Order: sequence, then C-alpha cells, then structure tokens
Amino acid sequence: MARIEIKSEITGTVWQLRSKPGDKVESGDTLIVVESMKMEIPVITEDPGTVKEILVKVKDPVAEGQVVAILDG
Amino acid sequence: MAFEALLAEYEARRAKALAGGGAEKYAKRTAAGVWNARERIAYLVDKGTFVESGLFGASGVYPEEAGETQTDGKLAGYAKINGRDVCIVVNDFTVKGASTSATNSKKIAHMKRTATERGMPLVVIGESTGARLPDAMGSRGMGLLLGNDITQFRRMRETPMCAAALGPSFGSSTWLTCQADFSVMQKGAVVAVSSPRLVSMALGEKVDPEDLGGWRLHAEVTGLVDQVVDREEEVFDSIKRFLSYLPGHHMEAPPDAPVPAGSGADMERVFSVLPESRTQVYDMKRVIRAVVDRDTLFELKPRFGKSAVTGLARLGGRSVGIVANNPLHRGGALDADACRKIVDFLVLCDSFNVPLVLLVDTPGFQIGTEAEKAGAPGKIMNFMNAMTLVTVPRLSVIIRKSYGRAYVCMGGGRHSDDVAAWPTAEVSFMSPEFATSIVHGVGAGEPGFEEKFAQIQKGADVWGLAEVYAAQAVIRPEETRDYLIRMLEVYRLRSTKGVGQHLMRSWPTSY
Repeated sequence: MARIEIKSEITGTVWQLRSKPGDKVESGDTLIVVESMKMEIPVITEDPGTVKEILVKVKDPVAEGQVVAILDG
Repeated sequence: MAFEALLAEYEARRAKALAGGGAEKYAKRTAAGVWNARERIAYLVDKGTFVESGLFGASGVYPEEAGETQTDGKLAGYAKINGRDVCIVVNDFTVKGASTSATNSKKIAHMKRTATERGMPLVVIGESTGARLPDAMGSRGMGLLLGNDITQFRRMRETPMCAAALGPSFGSSTWLTCQADFSVMQKGAVVAVSSPRLVSMALGEKVDPEDLGGWRLHAEVTGLVDQVVDREEEVFDSIKRFLSYLPGHHMEAPPDAPVPAGSGADMERVFSVLPESRTQVYDMKRVIRAVVDRDTLFELKPRFGKSAVTGLARLGGRSVGIVANNPLHRGGALDADACRKIVDFLVLCDSFNVPLVLLVDTPGFQIGTEAEKAGAPGKIMNFMNAMTLVTVPRLSVIIRKSYGRAYVCMGGGRHSDDVAAWPTAEVSFMSPEFATSIVHGVGAGEPGFEEKFAQIQKGADVWGLAEVYAAQAVIRPEETRDYLIRMLEVYRLRSTKGVGQHLMRSWPTSY
C-alpha cells in the first residue's frame, strides 16, 4: 500500500467535494473541483486506490501544489 | 587438423564470452523475474538479425581481469527492428554491474558513430552502476577514460535515439536517458546522478531510492522520462512502437502505415465531447483519439505538464506529432512544465520530419506567483522561439479558447501553414470576464457587467478571425479528420521529399 498525495494543480477555491474517505477510485476520477480563473477545474487522481483523507472543505482556498487528498494505492 | 587447437580455443572463448557474468548470476536474475542482456536483445530485435560487435572485448585497463570482464559488460551490435536497421547497446549487469570502462566506451562510441554516419536509429538499454572503479580513479584514470571523445554526448539528431532505464541506472544509463529522443523507464528503476549509498555517505542523508530517482519523480516532477511501464516486455514494445513513427535518419520522411479499420468512426460524435458551458472542462485526449487513425496515439510524458498533450500518431497512415491543450488540467492553462514538454516535442518532430497538428483550447499561459517562480517568461519565449524555427508542415485547429500570447505559440497567424477553427472558437487578448473588468471597470455581479461582457464575448467569436483570413477555414467538428488529412497532403514538402531544415537539431531538451 503506497500513500499517494493528491495535489491541486492550480490556485483557487474549493467548489465541490466529489469523494469521501473510503471511496474506491480509478485512474482519471475527479476527487474535488476547484474554482479558478472562472472555470471549474477538477482535481484528478492518476492512480487507482482508496481515498484515505480529504484535507479541504468547500470554500477553502487552495494553493497550487497543495496536497488536498491522500489515497492508499 | 592443423587448426584444431585454435578452433577449440575460439569455441571456448566464445562460450565464455556468451556466458557473461556466469550461469549463477544469470539464474539468480531469472529467478527474480529479471531478464538477462541477451534475453532483452532477443525480445527487442527481429529474430536472427543480431550481429554482435565486440563479443571478445574485455577490460582495457586491467589485462589480468580479462577472464571476469566478458564483453566488458556492454553488448553492442547491429540488428533489425520490424525490418529496419538499428544499432544497439545493451548493458550486461552481471559483468561488473555494466560499469563504464575503456573497452565498453569504445563499443558505445562505435555504435553511436555508425548509427549517426550511416543513418540508423541508436537504441541503448541501460542498467548500470556508473563509472567502473578503480579504472576511473585518480588523475591517470580520469585522463585515460573521460573526455577523450568529444562526440560522446553531442546531440545533433541525425538519427533517432532511444534509451531505456531498467533497475539501477546510474552513470551512463542516466545520461543517455536524458539525451534520448525517447526514454522509457520500468517501475523500480532508478535514474539519478548518484546512488543512494553515495548520497548518504556524502550528505548524511538517508534517502529512499524511489525518492532519489524513481519513476514517479521522473514521470511527474522532472519530466526526464517519456514513458513509464510496469513490465519488462513493455519497455521494448514501447521502443519498437516509437521507432515505427520515425524515419531511420533525418534525411528521410517517416514511413507510412496502413490505415486501421474503424479510423474516423467516432467523428460523428466528436462535437459532443465539448461541454455546453465554457466554464467547464473536458478531456482533449477524447478529441485526439477520435481524429487520429484508430489506436495510433502514442503519448509522451503523460504525467508531466498535463495541461498539454504531446504524442505521435498517424493521420491517414502518415506520422504526425500532436500538440494539444488539455482543459481537463488547469483548464488548459500552459505552465512552465507544459511549455517545456511542448518544446521538447517540437524539437523531436522538426528534427525527424514529422508534420505537426495543433489542437487548441487554452485560456493562456499560467499566471501567478508559482508560475513566475518557475521562470514562466523564459519558458514561454523558448516556446515562442521554437515555434518560429519549426520547418515541418504544421496545421492548427482552434477548438475553443485561444487567448493572449498562447494564441501565437499554439500556431496562431503564420505560425501554422493552415489555421482551421471550429464554430466554438473564441480568440482574444484575454478572457472576456477579465477583459470586461479591465476595459469597462465593472466586475462580475456588478451592474452593467452582463451587457458589457456579452459585447466583449461577441467580439471574440470565430468570425472575426475568418474575416481577416487569420483562420483559413471554419469547419464543422466532424469534418476535422478529413480536413487535416487533406491539408497534410496539400502542405507536403514536395521539393525536399518531406525533409525539413532541422533548425532545432542541437536544441538542448530536458531542461
């Protein structure tokens, strides 16, 4: 089991949480949606796994590169 | 028989050379599921085509070690891959960890020289510990072993070069991985300047090999590796596939291939990939896969600079290089990594006469403090400069957004031979939301914003571009594939038989 850090690619504001701890996710799944540059930017996992933690909540500001979720993969 | 003894000696020496580091070491690898050097060659090249060069090579520094330095640890020779000539170097880790020394350096140099001068791709399969010690120790060792071949790391891209990293790949395997036109890494391999052991001795830093030079680092952070694979077969499959898109050398056009059945079948539905709202994103790879010949997209650096997609593919049987924005990541905004990835790819395509197709949907270059810290202006200007140096045919299709300086970098104006646009195209200096605020001084939600916004958005539609002939065609999305195939034919480099000018042949990629 590897600990995989999921980072926001972009600075913005958390708009939606699309996953919760315990969810099984596949490569390409959207975990969180961030609002940035007037667009809805998904935070996507490249790796399959199980969501261990979601580290942000709706309306939280996030910075580029910030870890927003942890997967067990 | 007068020569019986000589022939017996020949056979004995040959058997010993072919046995490499010995049956025991080979068996240990086999038990661990790791292929030996000769098994790698057997899988990589066409059956029966390998002609070895330097089978009887051995240590050039210590004659007394000849008995334990079979082939000097690196196998070299000539072979065919899918019927086409190549030069190969495959490291044999069972012999002194395939470390670099005098004789094997001469072997690599000869393969590189022959490949370069006679127009064959060079394939180097790495797994190595680095420079051999004590061979390279001391001033005498350095003077004898290093720096005596100025062409060793000169890249003028006369011929495609592929490199693989398997297992520990320190020293030459790391350097060649960085210099190759295509590099592939098996998960578990380590590509790094020095080993975890030396790092911990020198810096007192205990470091995990994966953190120091594992696949995740190179696929996602450094971008030094083009593809990462799980299994050993896939390492060689990917090299064969990469070479299938390219010519054998820079003075010929890439080979054509049959068009697979079912190509273009998804074009009727391609428009439905776009979301209705311009604030929503989609995966550009779905558009690319629909447009190109079925299953021919061969993506490079898929986990690096993901707001851009770069990949080789075929259109109507002809090799093309695809450069696309991917709104799925960062909304398609081009950051420093994406710029570097695209520039590296432009260098590859221009050097080996592969026409380019650009699919555009970007709100512009990434802005913000992180972008500036990453040296965004420098990367953007490198990108801009590279686009002016491209001499292969290039076609662009504006799918949705094309804003600011990125409009030019992504093939706007005369930076493409032909610009086509979908009716959904929107082109302007900056996104209408921000332009409305700056030009009219009203922000979103304030009175009068919606009206001014609508005005500015209207001014960004496709028709302005078409009226001033900055787009040569406005096309229905489902026509994109046929249009591109026809335009590739129109813009063929007829007078040079498909060969470009290679103005970026010495461009330093990987930085």
